[in-house]
Amino acid sequence: MIQFQQVTKRYPGGFDAVKQLSFEIQDGELVFLAGHSGAGKSTLLKLIAGIERPTQGAVLVNGQNLARMRRASMPYTRRHIGLIFQDHKILYDRSVFENVRLPLDIIGFDHREAKRRVQAALDKVGLSGKDALNPVSLSGGEQQRLCIARAVVHRPSILLADEPTANLDRDYANDILELFKSFHQVGVTLVISAHDETLMADYGRRILRLKNGQFSA
Amino acid sequence: MKHWIRLNWIAFQRTLGGIVRAPLSSLLNLLVIAIAAAFPLGFYLLIASAQGVIGKLPVEPQLSVYLRTSVTADEINTLKQHLQADTRLAGVRFIGKDEALKQMQASVGGGDLLAGLTDNPLPDAFVLTAHTDASPESLEALQKELTASSGVDQVQLDSAWARRLQQLIAVGKGLLQIILVLLAVALVLITGNAIRLQILTRRDEIEVAKLIGATNAFIRRPFVYFAAMQGVLGGLLACAIVWGARTWLNPAVEALARSYGQQFSLALADWRVVVVTLVVTTLLCLLGASLAVGRHLRQFH
Repeated sequence: MIQFQQVTKRYPGGFDAVKQLSFEIQDGELVFLAGHSGAGKSTLLKLIAGIERPTQGAVLVNGQNLARMRRASMPYTRRHIGLIFQDHKILYDRSVFENVRLPLDIIGFDHREAKRRVQAALDKVGLSGKDALNPVSLSGGEQQRLCIARAVVHRPSILLADEPTANLDRDYANDILELFKSFHQVGVTLVISAHDETLMADYGRRILRLKNGQFSA
Repeated sequence: MKHWIRLNWIAFQRTLGGIVRAPLSSLLNLLVIAIAAAFPLGFYLLIASAQGVIGKLPVEPQLSVYLRTSVTADEINTLKQHLQADTRLAGVRFIGKDEALKQMQASVGGGDLLAGLTDNPLPDAFVLTAHTDASPESLEALQKELTASSGVDQVQLDSAWARRLQQLIAVGKGLLQIILVLLAVALVLITGNAIRLQILTRRDEIEVAKLIGATNAFIRRPFVYFAAMQGVLGGLLACAIVWGARTWLNPAVEALARSYGQQFSLALADWRVVVVTLVVTTLLCLLGASLAVGRHLRQFH
């Protein structure tokens, strides 16, 4: 469960990216985050992942208040979360396989189990057979799938995706959303941000609309 | 425990991955470390070799007092008492001409050379030992004074050159200490800089890893492994460089020593020196790495 209590995030310089936000997301829920760029979507996701700390208020993830958490404990909390970054953050100095294996190396999976899981994740996103390639040779859509494989390979209970369908054509975007739906069906909590609301409407889920760091109708 | 071993194994693989991705810079860095370590090691062995020879030489300044052939037993006795009373001297030994001849026969190794002599050509002599801390000036004064004594033919000041050599060794040792300190600092800086460059080239990986739940230890480990590897391999390479240089130089040094009638060859590093070299280079590299990692990882949150 994710719970925000009167959360404000002020960046240096006095800009409030998120103002007095309160909401709850239940376990296993799929929630869309809508709003123009600069509305605070990325900041909200970063607050859930503990990448940013709130200036005020409490961010509770699985019952723990991230605002008060010790820095040394944060890595272990992040391992329950899968992150799909807006700018992908793919490592181009290593293969597709090694990119996806990184979260498992961090946790310390043994070699054979890690290999099995990476293959399963690549299978799931439709990249099987491309594990030895360098990510540079993948198309934009395939790179997005690679990010998803890396985010789910350690089977997190929460999946956060920042603009996963940006720069993808309609069909490809729908494929990606179908993929997220399949994670939702196995009980993963998902928060997906997008500036294009037409895609979300088809899925009939809860939509949180942000404007200038606050919810709008 | 098993988990910890696995994490370290993963770190080891990541380290190798880093080396494979940048083999040339890793190799160059290794060479720089090896050369930096080879200097003090080689200099140390040179001094150790020299000390092996010089250490066998008498340190106390000696004066040989040769008496006139016409000297009388009374004169010898008076001189002896006079010398024994002298507080500047640590030891007085009389070597009569007969004894001197015997010694000479023994050292030459046969009576043949001296058998033809009807007369003993050697003089009676005193061998005087001065205190170790006697200054060269006071010894020269003593030499002059004794030369003026009755019955004395000649006074020779021995082993002043041995003392000078020892002082030279002391200078060499001081120099070695300076070289050691400077190159130790250099080694720390070299490794620190290499790790800084590695952190820069791997900053994407570090950033992503931190975002998806890597601990600081996970980030740090490959760099520590890298530094340790460079330290051990650099130390070994330094030993190899010194060994090569010694092999190259030794025939010339031995020939030089032979021309002085001496047995002398440059020392080889024994296993203790090798172990100490490896430990020291590794520790210095680790120090450099931990400084660099501590300084540059703070920028990632």
